[in-house]
Amino acid sequence: MSWEEFWIILIGCSITILICRTLPLFLLKGRELPEWAIRSLGLIPAAAFAALVANDLFAPGMFDGGIWPAAIPLLVACFVVVVALKTRSLLWSAVTGVAVYAILLLI
Amino acid sequence: MLGYIAIGIPCGILCDSIGLNAFQALLMSIVFYSGAGQFMIPNMYLAGAPMASIIASVSFVNTRQMLYSAYFAPFAANVSKRLAFFFAATVTDESYGVSAAKFQEGEWSIDRALMVNIFSQSSWALSNFIGVLLGSAIGIPLNIAAFAMTSIFICLLVTQKLTSANIVAAVVAMVGVYVCKLVGLSGPAILIGAVAGVVVAMIFCALRDKAAKRSAV
Repeated sequence: MSWEEFWIILIGCSITILICRTLPLFLLKGRELPEWAIRSLGLIPAAAFAALVANDLFAPGMFDGGIWPAAIPLLVACFVVVVALKTRSLLWSAVTGVAVYAILLLI
Repeated sequence: MLGYIAIGIPCGILCDSIGLNAFQALLMSIVFYSGAGQFMIPNMYLAGAPMASIIASVSFVNTRQMLYSAYFAPFAANVSKRLAFFFAATVTDESYGVSAAKFQEGEWSIDRALMVNIFSQSSWALSNFIGVLLGSAIGIPLNIAAFAMTSIFICLLVTQKLTSANIVAAVVAMVGVYVCKLVGLSGPAILIGAVAGVVVAMIFCALRDKAAKRSAV
């Protein structure tokens, strides 16, 4: 990534996140958001994280080169789901994912 | 705090893989300061997504911050504007979780919450810095480092409330991403899939409310 691309992405992403982080706090001052807004904002995490997971795990034609190499991430994902549900910890989920992935790649 | 280090180092390794140096990673961690966002950027960049698509997708995923900000508004009503601003600007998924719980218990204030945020931000920035140095020093396979991010997204997904609307949103979003990739739209796939998930789930909620009203009458 060039410096130019770096600045565009850094500034672009930083401005939008800063607005999302600070604007509601100053605009609301104790008032509530309308119900439809709360509802749709509440749905974003589930939809966004599902989209991110799907983007990482699934691709058309992923099994064309045989079942095993393509199945590794899916298998690791199952382990991570179990650990995430049990511990609810980002740390343990990340450690499990990386460790199990490394072990399965070695086999 | 330990969580930030464990996630920050793989994030730094990924940033190194797209040619960012330690200073750039540090700057990004301080100014932008978004775990999910900073993982998405190298991931989408490696996948060859255009700049506009990266910024739009990352920004969309970060709109969830508005919920946190709205939640803290009543607690910040009586503090100075500057303090409120610095606090609001440094809230993340994790520190929201910590501070929201403490505000519920009482005995908590914006300036103490800000201290938590600053500690978290420092450990995040520092571990990203170290991650870049590690990444450039030793060749850690990229797909393994990238899976740290996938694991985090899986954890964030499965710890969402298991409501029917959330399930609809998640399933539609996943199918949406796959369909986008099928038709060759892999760049904006995350954004299109996630928006489709939210829209379909909103329609689902509206229909459900209507049905509930009808059966109540």
